[in-house]
Amino acid sequence: MKRKLLGVIDATTYHDDLEDLLTHRSLAALPFAGRYRIIDFVLSNMVNSGIRSVAIFPKMQYRSLMDHLGSGKNWDLNRKRDGLFFFPSPIVDSDGNRIGSFEHFAGNIDFFYRSTQEYSIISNCYTIFNMDFRPILDWHRQSGCDITEIHHQDGGSMEMYLIKTSLLIKLIETRNETGYTCMKDIVNNLHHFYNICHYEYNGYAVMIDSIENYFSTSMNLLQSDIWKQLFIKEQPIITKVKDEPPTKYIKGSYVKNAMIANGCLIGGTVENSIVSRGVKIGKGAVIKNCIIMQKCHIEDNCYLDSVILDKDVKVDAGTHLTGTTRSPYVIRKGTKQGALMNS
Amino acid sequence: MVKKKCVACVLAGGKGSRLNSLTKDLAKPAVPFGGKYRIIDFTLSNCANSGIDTVGVLTQYQPLLLNSYIGIGSAWDLDRKDGGVTVLPPYSESSEVKWYTGTASAIYQNLNYLKQYQPEYVLILSGDHIYKMNYESMLEFHIEKRADVTISLIEVPWDEASRFGIMNTKDDMRIVEFEEKPSNPKNNLASMGIYIFSWNILKEYLEMDDRNPDSSHDFGKDVIPMLLEEKKKLFAYPFKGYWKDVGTVQSLWEANMDLLKEECDLDLFNQDWRIYSVNPNQPPQYISSDAIVKESLINEGCTIEGHIDKSVLFQGVTVGKGTIIKESVIMPDAIIGNNCLIERAIVPFDIKIPDGTVIRSFDDEIILVTEEMLGGLYSAY
Repeated sequence: MKRKLLGVIDATTYHDDLEDLLTHRSLAALPFAGRYRIIDFVLSNMVNSGIRSVAIFPKMQYRSLMDHLGSGKNWDLNRKRDGLFFFPSPIVDSDGNRIGSFEHFAGNIDFFYRSTQEYSIISNCYTIFNMDFRPILDWHRQSGCDITEIHHQDGGSMEMYLIKTSLLIKLIETRNETGYTCMKDIVNNLHHFYNICHYEYNGYAVMIDSIENYFSTSMNLLQSDIWKQLFIKEQPIITKVKDEPPTKYIKGSYVKNAMIANGCLIGGTVENSIVSRGVKIGKGAVIKNCIIMQKCHIEDNCYLDSVILDKDVKVDAGTHLTGTTRSPYVIRKGTKQGALMNS
Repeated sequence: MVKKKCVACVLAGGKGSRLNSLTKDLAKPAVPFGGKYRIIDFTLSNCANSGIDTVGVLTQYQPLLLNSYIGIGSAWDLDRKDGGVTVLPPYSESSEVKWYTGTASAIYQNLNYLKQYQPEYVLILSGDHIYKMNYESMLEFHIEKRADVTISLIEVPWDEASRFGIMNTKDDMRIVEFEEKPSNPKNNLASMGIYIFSWNILKEYLEMDDRNPDSSHDFGKDVIPMLLEEKKKLFAYPFKGYWKDVGTVQSLWEANMDLLKEECDLDLFNQDWRIYSVNPNQPPQYISSDAIVKESLINEGCTIEGHIDKSVLFQGVTVGKGTIIKESVIMPDAIIGNNCLIERAIVPFDIKIPDGTVIRSFDDEIILVTEEMLGGLYSAY
């Protein structure tokens, strides 16, 4: 596999529907499941599939993504040869005219030339899944297809493509003549002679493209049959190490049906919720149907129902915040919520 | 080799035989503690947090797990270009294999390791203790006092003083007398087994000790008394804070229970002095709708469907439905079935406890669960 498959993660995507959560970060760096960033899923899948060279193409607000990935050490991608490559794009979108990923790839075409891997897998950065790419590569090689697009059994493209690296280079270099700006353009266009195939994937996979779907996908993690499809011992989802202590449940805590990361201090009630690393929940506080991101501090006697707290939010004692499961109340990163502001 | 001002040596070869089956296959410094750590994490993190970047770890008893756990030291930020962590096992010379027969002989046999860094000071530590300490402050004290040796002391309860090495000092903290396990202690200041030596003194006295056929080659029993006899400048550095040598099953259990107090003297949550460990990289803990969790410390990768009360659960533990775990320590990857009752026990790593097992102590003693025990000794629930 080492010599065969190159991983390419297109992290240039932006979804307007997720705006409240993306003001400080790229979609790839969106926190998920208490301790991960969305990109951890595809990146870990690549590493677990034996891919040793991964290129990530981010755009805009990539500071948090870069901080998260670092040298790639956590994914064992800090290698002398191959490893993790990070190619932020120098190109900025002009109004209403988003630039396709081929344009970003073209800015670093030397990387593709230098790569020795015969095949490439190009993937989006916002799918929650745990997939072994090896059987798909075997399938692709046997099928004789030029491009294999991974489809989900529920229909629909998963926006992941297998292609010979040499053909990918050709497509990137001829983008101006052909008008194809990304892989999607090619598979959706029939005016060419490339042989396009579909590989059907029947495991769990969700693409995060709106707050509503981010919220429901997060809540579904509390169902053990879904949880077990994502977190597999032999194919672990790897993330940045934080060295937090175990979570401490103090007197008065009451927790059920919840996923809780390390480093939390819990003194209140937590139900049907996802709590990230280093969160403090005060005594008498009630947290229901919530996603609480890293380092939030919820003081005593608060009541939160159907709320997404982005990172570093502080909620003053006695504050009540409620949203609905269809439209959860999103509190932006680093803000402070007082009892008097939202009563 | 780049010169280093201070090099640390961690004695990590101890067997810890009073921990019974827990140390059958691993050295005491590798025993799991606090839901996530191994005992040696505290010493190594103290080094990293004190700015000491050159650490030799002396192993001997059952070193396999400890060696692979320490690796190149990256978990403690000790994977360095110059210095960093070096595991130092006993080795053979042209005539014989020299085992580490005592704490002093272990350091003596690694004088060449120390020499290559041309240190001014050598910090000698034990890998067996649980505490947070700034060695840099101790080194400053040593330099300020122009000491030959500085020994760190902690106040122990008077009735326990006769179990320790007790130091008698003058007002300026100069040590005038050292008594190993005295029956009538004059003092309750006990040695923590932490020493800072000025390099020349260490080298000279370890060589002298090695030549003495009557010596047991131990710092406390042989080297320190010899230094005192020769009127060398030995100073006591008083340490205040949590410090525990978890030598027995009972004390290991107690130290874990200490962490559950709301105001714990050993603050694992202090970001300014983090305790690092090799991260298992497991998903967050999952607390099911059938579970109840009270006053406990739980690590990532756990799946909890039962009731947990005043307990410490390490990474990857599974607890089945209807199971009650009370005042217990459950070590990594243990699988506990449905409808079990476990009270005042330590469950070692990787053990599988079948459905309906009852483990409880009817006296004060803490039960250390073993595979043999599960072979039918305990009746169904």
